[in-house]
Amino acid sequence: MSMRDLSSLSEKELYRAERDIARRHVGKFPWAIVIGAGINLAVWLSLWPLVILAGCPIWLGLIVATICATLSYLASHEAQHDIIARPGSKLYWLNEAVGHLSTIPLALPYRVAKVTHQEHHRHTNHAELDPDISSSARGPLHAIWRSIENRQPRGEGAFNAYGRTLVRLKRYDVLLEGALYRLGWLGALIALAWSGFAIEAALLWWLPHHLAYTYIQYYLSWAPHHPAEETARYRNTRSFRAALGNVLSLGMQYHVVHHLHPRIPLLRTGEAYWQMKPLLEARGANVKDL
Amino acid sequence: MTNAIKLVFRFGPIIFAFGFLAPLAAQIIHASGRAPPFGLSPLAAGLIIGGTLGIVAQIRGRWV
Repeated sequence: MSMRDLSSLSEKELYRAERDIARRHVGKFPWAIVIGAGINLAVWLSLWPLVILAGCPIWLGLIVATICATLSYLASHEAQHDIIARPGSKLYWLNEAVGHLSTIPLALPYRVAKVTHQEHHRHTNHAELDPDISSSARGPLHAIWRSIENRQPRGEGAFNAYGRTLVRLKRYDVLLEGALYRLGWLGALIALAWSGFAIEAALLWWLPHHLAYTYIQYYLSWAPHHPAEETARYRNTRSFRAALGNVLSLGMQYHVVHHLHPRIPLLRTGEAYWQMKPLLEARGANVKDL
Repeated sequence: MTNAIKLVFRFGPIIFAFGFLAPLAAQIIHASGRAPPFGLSPLAAGLIIGGTLGIVAQIRGRWV
């Protein structure tokens, strides 16, 4: 359908056409993501005996662990949106298991991520209500610096922002779970360090956590929402052409589709984007870069 | 329990410094094969390095 044809459609008809495309992609079980999550966790876990016992170079361990920590968020993100299985369905346990287990390399408490990420969707780019607004930045280097700044003990973003959001929502249960999770991580790092494995703990878990978090924030928070000034449904997220390509940008070039239809699996957002693009243009979405 | 958790988070930088950075620095010194100055053991040097970083981070509220 050409733009000229679309201009004759009402908002309701445009939305219906967009929704029909989305429906073709929603409800498909994301096998690759679920299996990939299991493999990813297994690879990360296997690094410990490989580095400690089998002489695998620690620098190689750092690279692989950072990749694992980065990828781990993608499966959790699918679970955060109940894409693997809906609440009340037979396989919902799998959705939650993937959510909880996949982010161990990233040391990210799943329920904290789930509740705060849903707030991010509800209030994208809102100065007070979006838990991820602190990742907004002037440009790529500033975005990396902001991500590091946000994770400082008294930083304004990351876990401090998530804590404030959970207090605002009165989700003290999730806040407590997240605090215990983070303390558990700290305890595990300290136990490993005083057992003689400080370098391994630093290079297989602590540093990968920070490197992956920076990368994830860059491509999932900053790039698709830049300049993060608009809050309207079709304007708060954009498509963009990543210098590293779609795979290395974690599939985020099509993030606008994810915000409009969060239940479309990650690996289908690209196809959905190209099918929807004329409709998105007609709605005034920021899709000019891709 | 909540107060105990808040206390740990309040002193997070110092706990992280002495609990993790100090043995990390000590093990890096040991692995490098170099002796710390003033006849310090690697662990003592690690505690000084990690502890200093942690106290500064605790006061400033940031590591970098």
